[in-house]
Amino acid sequence: MILMALLAVPLLGALLTLVSPPWSPRRLTRVARLYGLVVSGVTLVLALVAAVVFDYGKRGPQLGVDRTWAASIGLRFHLGVDGISLPLIVLTAALTFLCMVYTARVLPSRGTGGDEGDSPPQALIGLILLLEVGMLGTFVALDLVLFFVFFEVVLVPMYFIIANWGGSGRDGQAKARAAANKFILYTLLGSGFLLVGILLIAVNARTLDMTALAARHGAGLSHGVQVTAFALMALGFAVKTPMWPLHTWLPDAHTEAPTVGSVLLAGVLLKMGTYGFVRVAVPAAPGGAHTWAPWLGLLAVIGILYGALACLAQRDLKRMIAYSSIGHMGFVLLGIATLTPVGVNAALFGNVAHGLITGLLFFLAGAIKERYGTGDLDVLGGGMLAKAPYLASILTFASIASLGLPGLAGFWGEMLALLGAYRPHAGLPRGTFLTFMALGGLGAVLTAAYFLRMLAKVTHGPVAERWRTTRFADVRSYELLAWTPLITATLFIGLWPKTLLALTDGAVRVLLGGR
Amino acid sequence: MIVLAAVAILLPFAAAFAGMLFGPTVSHLLTPLARRVRSPRPGTAAGRARVLARRLPANGPALIAVLPVAVSTVITAVVAFEQWRQPRVRTGTLTLVQTGGLPFAVSLDVDGLSAVVALMVCCVALAVQIYSVAYMRDDPRYSSYAAFVSLFTAAMLLVVLSGDLLVLYVGWEVMGVCSYFLIGHYWHDRATSRAAVKAFLMTRIGDVGFLFGIFVLGMAAHSFGIRAVIAHVPAMSHTTLVAGTLLLLCGVAGKSAQFPLHTWLPDAMAGPTPVSALIHAATMVAAGVYVVARLYPAFLFAPASLAVLGIIAAISMLGAALAALAQDDLKRVLAYSTISQLAYMAGGLAVGTRDGAVFHLLSHGAFKALLFLGAGCVIVTVGSSVLSTMGGLRRAMPVTFWSMTIGFAALAGVPPASGFFSKDTILSQAWHAARQQRPRGDFGSFAHSSVGGGTGTQGYTALNNAHRLPVIPESMPGIPSWTGWLVFIAGLVTVAITAAYATRTWLVTFFGEQRSEVAPREAPPLMRWPVAVLAVPALVLGFLGLGSDHLRPEPGMAAVSLLFTAAGAGAVFLVWNNDPALDPVRLLGPVRPVLQAGFHLDNVYDVLVVRPVLALARLVVSTDERVVDAAVEGSGRGARRLGGLLRATENGNPQAYVSGLLAGVVIIVLAVVVLT
Amino acid sequence: MHLVYPVVIAAMLFSVGVYGVLARRNAILVLMSVELMLNAVNLNLVVFDMRWADRLHGGQVLTLFVIVLAAAEVGLGLALVLLIYRNRRTVDIDRLRALADRDVDPDSDISAIPDDEGVRR
Repeated sequence: MILMALLAVPLLGALLTLVSPPWSPRRLTRVARLYGLVVSGVTLVLALVAAVVFDYGKRGPQLGVDRTWAASIGLRFHLGVDGISLPLIVLTAALTFLCMVYTARVLPSRGTGGDEGDSPPQALIGLILLLEVGMLGTFVALDLVLFFVFFEVVLVPMYFIIANWGGSGRDGQAKARAAANKFILYTLLGSGFLLVGILLIAVNARTLDMTALAARHGAGLSHGVQVTAFALMALGFAVKTPMWPLHTWLPDAHTEAPTVGSVLLAGVLLKMGTYGFVRVAVPAAPGGAHTWAPWLGLLAVIGILYGALACLAQRDLKRMIAYSSIGHMGFVLLGIATLTPVGVNAALFGNVAHGLITGLLFFLAGAIKERYGTGDLDVLGGGMLAKAPYLASILTFASIASLGLPGLAGFWGEMLALLGAYRPHAGLPRGTFLTFMALGGLGAVLTAAYFLRMLAKVTHGPVAERWRTTRFADVRSYELLAWTPLITATLFIGLWPKTLLALTDGAVRVLLGGR
Repeated sequence: MIVLAAVAILLPFAAAFAGMLFGPTVSHLLTPLARRVRSPRPGTAAGRARVLARRLPANGPALIAVLPVAVSTVITAVVAFEQWRQPRVRTGTLTLVQTGGLPFAVSLDVDGLSAVVALMVCCVALAVQIYSVAYMRDDPRYSSYAAFVSLFTAAMLLVVLSGDLLVLYVGWEVMGVCSYFLIGHYWHDRATSRAAVKAFLMTRIGDVGFLFGIFVLGMAAHSFGIRAVIAHVPAMSHTTLVAGTLLLLCGVAGKSAQFPLHTWLPDAMAGPTPVSALIHAATMVAAGVYVVARLYPAFLFAPASLAVLGIIAAISMLGAALAALAQDDLKRVLAYSTISQLAYMAGGLAVGTRDGAVFHLLSHGAFKALLFLGAGCVIVTVGSSVLSTMGGLRRAMPVTFWSMTIGFAALAGVPPASGFFSKDTILSQAWHAARQQRPRGDFGSFAHSSVGGGTGTQGYTALNNAHRLPVIPESMPGIPSWTGWLVFIAGLVTVAITAAYATRTWLVTFFGEQRSEVAPREAPPLMRWPVAVLAVPALVLGFLGLGSDHLRPEPGMAAVSLLFTAAGAGAVFLVWNNDPALDPVRLLGPVRPVLQAGFHLDNVYDVLVVRPVLALARLVVSTDERVVDAAVEGSGRGARRLGGLLRATENGNPQAYVSGLLAGVVIIVLAVVVLT
Repeated sequence: MHLVYPVVIAAMLFSVGVYGVLARRNAILVLMSVELMLNAVNLNLVVFDMRWADRLHGGQVLTLFVIVLAAAEVGLGLALVLLIYRNRRTVDIDRLRALADRDVDPDSDISAIPDDEGVRR
């Protein structure tokens, strides 16, 4: 019941924004912002209630709904949460709420509704709520086609958010539209493969239910079918993750998107890819997973190193954070590729940690861009610790968390992924994975290098000439309000990793079919 | 006891957060109180408030910094005393964290070694915090500085008292990040910023190897607990042990600034001097040596890694000592000297004396902190840290002078200062290892399980006794003799060079005529009294080792090392005496620039590592644009071209369309006729 | 008379008509060729109706239909040709390429139709 409410509230909220009362633009904007806060707040409360009533001792999916939808193809409206989806649901609801808090004062004003001019302000709110429905739905769906539907639902609102509210600078609009086009077409291509893979499994296993497929651990599917299906599904999820070399949509999409778009894109949408691996691909086709795991690991490690090296040479702040996402997701993928409970726990931990930390980083990048007018590291010049000390300190905190310092959330995901690679599943080639582990460690060093380089360029040093006379506010109250939960969550999860690990461990063991 | 230890760690940790968030607030709250206590002074109200705000009782950040560390010092003293009275191992686990594979425990472990090192850490941290109140008096960012020093103290205590390898690693890395923040305290200077980044990155490289070493040993022992790993050591395969310990040595080399990961330490002197005293002399850099001492049985069962440690130690010892001789900056002399002394400890571990290495660690902590804090006094007085601006300070700064004399004596190994005793222990053991003799009483603490004490219940032995350690079988290859020779010879030569640079620095700073423009006067009391207090253990610590067999100096070895010390010091003194106005090091001539630049290792690393990585990064970015993304954009262009091909048929001419239609009909009819 | 003779004539008429539709440049001639094709079909229908001679005489009835439809279609066709001549000053089919698929500059005015040569706007 609560899951239905969780999906229904943002959906109804989004539909309500279609109404366009004849108010003045300023009043409309104010009401829209408040409305967004209320609806996403209610959703957050529902998610927290779900977290409270969740039975932490039970291992299977709970709080579920299971109704027939289209009996002829075996499609059921099956929802449920377990230890793997619960943290992601809370993360999604929280990040959306924080985005609404952020919008409360900084609604991006540029919209291109066509020849008529700007889009109405409630359009952005409605799109974000629609996005939230899609994100939450992906994490609670327990039926393959239902999962796919929600997986696709997020694409359209995100396209419009990037295309209409994104971009800045000279060719802002054209660049934003190009980035949005690339994002949606690339992801749709991947989803096409994903659909074929899902249908292959569905036809051969004669069921669409994820829990049933997970319980079977691949029984009833021939090895060839499993290998093909996993490859197809992996292609679809890999574009979303993003996995090298299918990652090139990410830097453009992140750079051109508005702040709230980037936060939700990096904070939640990227998680859908890896969540799909853990929930759909690996349990349904374990034989295929075994065959493809070394390749997955190889591409993951290449992603880690590639992302880190690309970040070292970046000039734009948001682009650098985008490439850092590729690196972090590389660690998550490496964890999945080991096919051990340690590795998958690492992946899920890394997911949540990345959502918190990179969400915070994109908020900060947006704040910096709003104050300085640019995200170019050389133009920013340095000395932010003198000009806006609190902003610079929070940026330093987020960067240190992102580079995987123990004691903050990012470390445990990376460390456990490397531990998983040290001893992967019995059937996988150990030497290869040891090499992956070593390269992953190298990637960790390079991650530290580029974040420290960025901090030195932006926060250290004397204030650059051109900024010496400009004055802008340090962290504002609503910004602090939006960022403090992320900071405290990062600290708490980093210092007490048991919160997440205890949650995911049981569910992971069930999914991987072991002990 | 465990609870006390946990409190000792948590207090500075809480102080760090409190200081960061509430420092100035507490000052505001306390200022009216202080104003009521003190008698009115002449001057404007604002000036009065400012002066009062800086005094200790109303200085919020200072109170938040000093009080918790003071309490922690008392606690660790109590714990150490209790451990000395009743030597046994105390472990406490807060919780077991399931990871899906091997779980790890948030646990603390108090035994003799950890108790005494924790006490040393707290004492030095307290001295540094009190000192900083005066040193950083005019710094507007004092509260964040003090908070980071508190956080560092908590992290170091976690490393020392941790009972689990992963928890130790957490503390290890947090120390590294605190070091980054504290070195980069003067971030408005780009060179300082670069030094901080360099320190963090070099130690991070070592830390990755350290983490892998933890994996190897932990997985082989089926537990990450330190006691469990040590207990499993006899059961592990030789390859595993060698691999694990060598990987651990990566982290040790990075954190303890040994060759080849040592070049960050001299540059780290860009940070405030109290930071150099705490982090880069007494505590963080000692953490590497401490970890080897903690996991010593693993190393003993894998002599190959001890041999590697010996080589690293020998190179670092000699190289750093030579570089220290040629430096022109007081803090850089002390930095290179730290590398050299840490190499002594590493060398001690390499030749088999854990107790000797820890002994030297403790005495080095005392005298190096003393030297750094004293250097801070001198720098504050003179206004610069360059040696050529100092001179003749002994009359103007008597307390500092006598304290630093004791410090330099300890450094050079002049009796009765503690350095003499600790260095001697290491040299004796090196000699015994070289001659493949069974050392007097060492290994003994490992060869029999001891509950009530090893070879004595006084001094270090009781404190350093480990409980239920594995017995080393006779068939185990011992430490190779060439390692012993290497460490011994390098050690002796370094003794001479150490004495030389210690004497040179002492003479150039305190004797001769005054070269500074500012009239020197003694440092403020909050600065000079910690220095004086530290001089006591620097002088006296050596005598505490007389109680145990293997920490007592051997007469023959003592005489030889004294000879070398006298040679080094005497040579420098004679040269200086010739012309007190000139720097005796000028005699090095053309070799001096090479030594001063640390054998140009920085440039080598720049060419071999930094530039290729940056070039690779640029290559990756251009590849991403031109190859990977080009494929994506190319697919779009390819699709359009394909469409363009088909579009050629849409030429707008209806007759063409109808012709096509006709052709199609003909073909279909033919097909139907032919195929049926 | 054997069926062959009228059928062959019809076929030849139809072929001439097809040639005219595909190859003539003048639009009016194309319309005339379409008429030719339709009348060839008529001839065929009448001939075969005489052959089969069913009760409803479907062939001849269909012929009447075709005559009416041809007339209607030619009326419409000529009206179109007249309008094209008024707007484009030509009835040369080869030059009427407005519906061709060409690259259109996305920034230009959408209402601008690509011109043929020598067209008066």
